[in-house]
Amino acid sequence: MTLRVRTVALPDDAASADLLDDVFGTLPADDRFAFVGGDVGLVGAGAAVRIPVGAGTDRGARAAAELDRLLATAEVDDEVGGRGTGAIAVGSLTFDPDAEGSVLVVPSLSVGRREGATWVTTAAVDAPPPTWRPGAGVPGRPPVRDRPRFAGSSLRDDAWLTAVDAAVAAIAAGELEKVVLARDHRLWSEAPFDVPALLGALAERFPACRTFLVDRLIGASPEPLLRVEGTEVRSRVLAGTAPRGATPAEDERAWADLLVSAKDRHEHAMAVTSVTAPLTALGADVLAPDEPSRLALDNVQHLATDVVARLPAPMPALTLLDRLHPTAAVGGVPSAAALDRIRSTEGMDRGRYAGPVGWTDGAGDGEWALALRCAEVDGARARVFAGAGVVAGSLPELELRETQLKLRAMLRVLSGLGAERPAATG
Amino acid sequence: MRTPDLDGPDAALARAVADDRDAPHDLGGLAAEVGTSVALLEAVGRAGLLLPHHVDADGTARYSAADADAVRAGLELLEAGLPLAELLELAGPTDEAVAAIADRAVEAFLRFVRDPVLGTAPDDDEAGRRLVAAYDRMLPAVERLVTHHLRRRLVAAAVARMAAGTDGTPAP
Repeated sequence: MTLRVRTVALPDDAASADLLDDVFGTLPADDRFAFVGGDVGLVGAGAAVRIPVGAGTDRGARAAAELDRLLATAEVDDEVGGRGTGAIAVGSLTFDPDAEGSVLVVPSLSVGRREGATWVTTAAVDAPPPTWRPGAGVPGRPPVRDRPRFAGSSLRDDAWLTAVDAAVAAIAAGELEKVVLARDHRLWSEAPFDVPALLGALAERFPACRTFLVDRLIGASPEPLLRVEGTEVRSRVLAGTAPRGATPAEDERAWADLLVSAKDRHEHAMAVTSVTAPLTALGADVLAPDEPSRLALDNVQHLATDVVARLPAPMPALTLLDRLHPTAAVGGVPSAAALDRIRSTEGMDRGRYAGPVGWTDGAGDGEWALALRCAEVDGARARVFAGAGVVAGSLPELELRETQLKLRAMLRVLSGLGAERPAATG
Repeated sequence: MRTPDLDGPDAALARAVADDRDAPHDLGGLAAEVGTSVALLEAVGRAGLLLPHHVDADGTARYSAADADAVRAGLELLEAGLPLAELLELAGPTDEAVAAIADRAVEAFLRFVRDPVLGTAPDDDEAGRRLVAAYDRMLPAVERLVTHHLRRRLVAAAVARMAAGTDGTPAP
């Protein structure tokens, strides 16, 4: 089987079209995807090839090898060149490396943009790649809207709270240092959720995030886990969270409290180490600032650290995911003990929530974020997720509250409602 | 319950207020009695929704059969489907509002029931008896009043919501 791929530059008049607002709605409806907000924005549809991603801690490396095999015989006609052009694959991997259910596809159609270039890539197997022009599709009628309605959680709140308490006890007993425990809300609605509108709402509400859609998993990730370009690897670590204040003064106070909170600083330091240690182990020069910076989103603010590393030799983004995921920001410390606890006490299958979502190109470059602030949308049904980091001294009801705030932010987006507070600064 | 040294009539009142009925449970016992986890009761306690009957000299919080009943009532709400996070969120402002009102109610009792008794009773013993009688009468009366009022408010809110269409409400 031969994959044929063609990338053509789009004329300047198409270059100003917004990928989500203008282009996405005109794409064919099957297998639509989006990954917008990074240095390369991509939207597209269709699946020229589905690359199997199995389970196991080397799943990324195996998927990268599979992609390499496919591309070794591919005919690629790329008139643009560089990051994100030519053959690409978009994917969303399960949180648990040992779980099935990961998705990786070479899309039939993708529209991409990076600074100074907009392009269309089409792909097909054993056939000439189709042609596509923007505006060729017709946006569907605006669907009937209904609000999201609560349909229960996988684990009842009170049982989840007890699980958090048990985790705190296990941490006190020295079994582990940190574990991120998540919970979900199942939702239903009278009418199917409007995916293009949701993408637009997420991008508007969380401009600092990566807005993504891969196989029904839709969200806005504040956390670029991995941005790979040649030998350069960048990662943003978020751990340690405070609410936004109702007034600028309250907001500053909440931030100041977060910055001096020993619990949050320790949690953050563990998360940074969980990213820098595997990179160092690969022989990379790793740079990470000593002091975390502030990432303020519209409902919460986080301690953030941007890590930059230089690898001795290029490594495919998918392979690097095996080394980095799950970080302490979504798993825990030590990773294995945290995974065991998540599997045994969370009472739900995370699926692809908190797993890597992103894209890779033929060079192995790409960008992968953690699928947080997300919903699995299936017609008129959806599932939203939220997690909280449990460390020594965590109070279960505060973790419950933190997850409630995060769930509520997603519910508001799914409701088509605006922000709870005026747009945040910073 | 430890109280400061009080004069005759107030000491009698303090003994009545101390509510000397049995408080057989510590927190673990209470959790076992109602069939829930200590973690849940601790969280509910920190939210201000579960207050101990008294605290022993060694610092152990003790709970009565009435406390167990109240916890069972809360668990009923969870069993009916109300998520704990929502219940705790309702509990915070409720506790705050009720604590402020309770303080004002006690102030009213002291000024308009206790003061007249102290000013008119022939002796301390009689004053003590009258204060205890007034207290024993007023506490259940207040409970009935508040319960009934809250019930009316809940029903009125439900009726108003239904008249407006239950689905006309914004999502959380």
